[in-house]
Amino acid sequence: MSYIDAGYAIALGVLAAYGAILWRRRQRLERAAARSGGRRAP
Amino acid sequence: MNPTDTEVTPWSPTATWVVRGLGMAAAVAVAATVWLGLWVTPPDQAQHNLVRLVYVHPPIAWVALYLAFGVAAASSVLWLWPRTRSRFWDRLAVSAVEVGTVFTALTLITGSIWGRPTWGVWWAWDARLTSTALLLVLLLGYLAVRRVPADPDSRARRSAVVALVAAVDVPIVHFSVDWWHTLHQGATVLNANLSPTIHGSMAWTLLLGFVAFTLLFAWMLAIRYRIEVLSERLLDSELDVALHERWAEGTGPVAGEPGGALASTGRRA
Repeated sequence: MSYIDAGYAIALGVLAAYGAILWRRRQRLERAAARSGGRRAP
Repeated sequence: MNPTDTEVTPWSPTATWVVRGLGMAAAVAVAATVWLGLWVTPPDQAQHNLVRLVYVHPPIAWVALYLAFGVAAASSVLWLWPRTRSRFWDRLAVSAVEVGTVFTALTLITGSIWGRPTWGVWWAWDARLTSTALLLVLLLGYLAVRRVPADPDSRARRSAVVALVAAVDVPIVHFSVDWWHTLHQGATVLNANLSPTIHGSMAWTLLLGFVAFTLLFAWMLAIRYRIEVLSERLLDSELDVALHERWAEGTGPVAGEPGGALASTGRRA
């Protein structure tokens, strides 16, 4: 693997992984928020 | 606490479409940058194929240093200014810092990968590299300060001050190549004469790279901001429910009115 390949692979790989983590975290929280909608305090 | 404060409303259809559109535009623009950068643009006379790293390293640095930090610093000022103080600015600042930390780390990594074949070393204690590494440490410090337990206003105030202290490093990073003799090359596009020293398909591909990573940053910022809103409101909601459950445990069947129920049992809260 050349330096160019390594640079592109690391940059794009890290950004793709971080984007996926953000997306999943948001989805999980959206679901949790929808569930807690019916659990509000009296 | 007012129960309506704990409600989490879903994204509006407009916001959903804007975020989806940003994500798709960013994906297409990054893919086009990679295609043009690796297969279409010519090699450089001096650096040969290594110049292809120019299409990712400077755009990532642009997002880290100028966009993310600009948003974080401006949001921190707007939070500290009493007339504009709003939770919106605090959430925006922490979102920009977190996304910016990832981009700053990538700036250092891609720069190091480019430095090894051109300078012969992975790292040098050069003014540009050192000031950028210091910025990464300051950003991590900001995120550490966010995790210190405190009420939301104190936490926001501390974080805003840390962001503004860290912002002093940004002009040092930018002008380091002019102020000191460094291994790092001078500005190619935003130089003192505002005269780009790159042209043709290389210039257009570099410009596309800036647009692509800017779109990607905007998409990540929107998602991260939403996470902050949801986390805060879920925490409030859970705390509210837990408090009422504790009151209910202590007061028996008349738990609907915590204050009155406690008074009826003769105990004080």
